[in-house]
Amino acid sequence: MARKLPETDVVIVGMGWTGGILAKELAEAGMKVVVLERGAMRRPEEDFQVPRIRDELRFGSRTDLMMNTAQDTLTVRNTPDQEALPMRRLGSFLPGEGVGGAGSHWNGVNWRWGDMELQIRTKYEEKYGKAFVPEEMTIQDWGVTYAELEPYYDKFEKIAGVSGKAGNLRGRRIDGGNIFEDARANEFPLPPLEDPLSGVLFAEAARKLGYNPHPRPSANASRAYTNPDGSRLGACQYCGFCERFGCESNAKGTPNVTVIPIALRNPNVTLRTHSWVTTVNKDSDGRKATGVTYTNLLNGEELEQPAGMVILAAYGLNNAALMMWSGIGEIYNPSTGQGLIGKNYCYQTGTSAQLFFEDKFFNPFMATGSWGQNIDNFNTNWEFDRRPHNYVGGSTIAAGGSNGRPIEYRPLPAGTPRWGTEWKRATRKWYQGAMAIGASGSVMPNRANFLDLDPTYRNVFGQPLMRMTFEYKPNEIRMTEHIAGVINSIAETMGAASVNRAGPRRSWTVVPYQSTHNTGGTIMGRTPRESVVNKYLQSWQLHNLFVLGAGVFPHNAAYNPTGPVGALAYWAADAIKNQYARAPGPLVQA
Amino acid sequence: MILRVTIAAAALLAAAGAARAADPARGQELYAQCIACHSLDGENGVGPTLQGVIGRRAGALAEFRYSPAMRRAAVVWDVTNLDRFMADPQTVVRGNRMPFSGIEEASDRADIAAFIAATAP
Repeated sequence: MARKLPETDVVIVGMGWTGGILAKELAEAGMKVVVLERGAMRRPEEDFQVPRIRDELRFGSRTDLMMNTAQDTLTVRNTPDQEALPMRRLGSFLPGEGVGGAGSHWNGVNWRWGDMELQIRTKYEEKYGKAFVPEEMTIQDWGVTYAELEPYYDKFEKIAGVSGKAGNLRGRRIDGGNIFEDARANEFPLPPLEDPLSGVLFAEAARKLGYNPHPRPSANASRAYTNPDGSRLGACQYCGFCERFGCESNAKGTPNVTVIPIALRNPNVTLRTHSWVTTVNKDSDGRKATGVTYTNLLNGEELEQPAGMVILAAYGLNNAALMMWSGIGEIYNPSTGQGLIGKNYCYQTGTSAQLFFEDKFFNPFMATGSWGQNIDNFNTNWEFDRRPHNYVGGSTIAAGGSNGRPIEYRPLPAGTPRWGTEWKRATRKWYQGAMAIGASGSVMPNRANFLDLDPTYRNVFGQPLMRMTFEYKPNEIRMTEHIAGVINSIAETMGAASVNRAGPRRSWTVVPYQSTHNTGGTIMGRTPRESVVNKYLQSWQLHNLFVLGAGVFPHNAAYNPTGPVGALAYWAADAIKNQYARAPGPLVQA
Repeated sequence: MILRVTIAAAALLAAAGAARAADPARGQELYAQCIACHSLDGENGVGPTLQGVIGRRAGALAEFRYSPAMRRAAVVWDVTNLDRFMADPQTVVRGNRMPFSGIEEASDRADIAAFIAATAP
């Protein structure tokens, strides 16, 4: 029997970007907040110092800042007729763990998702007709518009210290920025980062072909910066240890250097680390959440934390698992299409080419998570006609390597032996002479891609593992076929000695690493019939339960998800402070 | 305070042979590059606090986890070696862990050093 603790106003599950933002905002509004984090405390001054943090084996290969699969993991399969097996080592994606969550070890790529995504079904049906969207593709509008979110994107960019160049300032298109972006009210808080040689060469080639290159927006600070909360960021030193690592120079916009320390200084906030939440509790008539039950991982004690409001701010996949374990809502069933928890799980796709030059030195010893140049001509460019290529969605195409780490980074021309003298010779020859052009592509939801509970495997707490069923569908395969052709056509103009050409991605496997951009499972929308949460991320079923993170995205775009994750967190925080706190109840009438 | 600034500026002039007097007010603005890691209020962050650094031996704060190189260094900080350190941290204390590539402009370094000196308690 769980020991019952004194009630608090708000309990938050998870202390990453969204948990940190909500803890800070709600505590400042006078609410008593308890945050439960399954992992350890992480402070930059203790945990992200050099040389410790530049240990590639520990943090890169053995993923020390990530989820521990010996405790909890997922089972994985491609199609509903297969038997799923547990993912016993992390591979394709890397959920974070510990204070800061995945926000402590992200690369920093920070995009705004515009109305092309937020109103996806309306816009595609308007332009291409209802028949263009296949019946099994369950895309839907998000219920929130870009105009509503714009001030919150702006806020998050200022908090995280994003470097970049505007391409659409209040409707004025600016060459050199992303001219296809939705209108922004303000320029980026910081100018773009330095450009790597790979970015310069790619941008030249792209411009000659009539495309519109622009610097990637980046939460790696291009110079020292103090954000509106007074948090101080140093200038990026281009060390190339962003993704999978904490930042040793406080130059990456992370919750660890911004919202979390501010929240922790507020006497209204209590943080309990090593606290594993197993269930969200609800009252007897199932209309309100009453708190959560969790296990103190340090001594095994089970505790109940009663709360007036529950906020799920864990990694998106874990929020979905918590909903399933707690019996909140109906789990999605692919054969009937009924149930919403686990529905519209999406991943990302992509393809890349590697270029090898005899006469160029790219200096991979210097890099940062999110520099380089990008083109959005096949992504947010709504004029790009999808009809001849027959797909919904888009791809970014970019150059600018995020690292040249000694274990992982081995650019070699196709056909090089995998070991021995020739491998060593080729490694020496090409380490400094290679660059890549990479595409990140959207994935649309499909009836046969979803999350539910595994019938066989359980975690250390005896709970069924969440089961992931995912495969690339013809829509996504056609897209990577098209984009591989675009990448190769750019690469061919660049004068490389040899090129490992891009090809389509046809099937998903759980290894190797591809992207941590998992979305869906607790999707948002306009009605309780089509979504788990409303436009304010409030549960339709339990009005004092809010679900944050990328699990609420009804589909996955080409863009990295952190921008809308941060913006939606501030948007939901405002709705809770300004509307819900005054009149608790549904913020949108069903 | 005014006296100290004058002395610091004089020391800098002598050290760098500069034609202009160091400007601690400008140094305070430039210190924005440092403050994400180095506080001036006595609290250690990713880097040690620089409160009272002038006249202090390198690696001397008991609460801060210095690199072995910094702990071994026979350096007592003054505006001259701070200036050199800011130009390229590795030339003054080889093997130290400060992840910083250096400040190129001599006048920027002089102004920052003057500012740090002026904040001495």
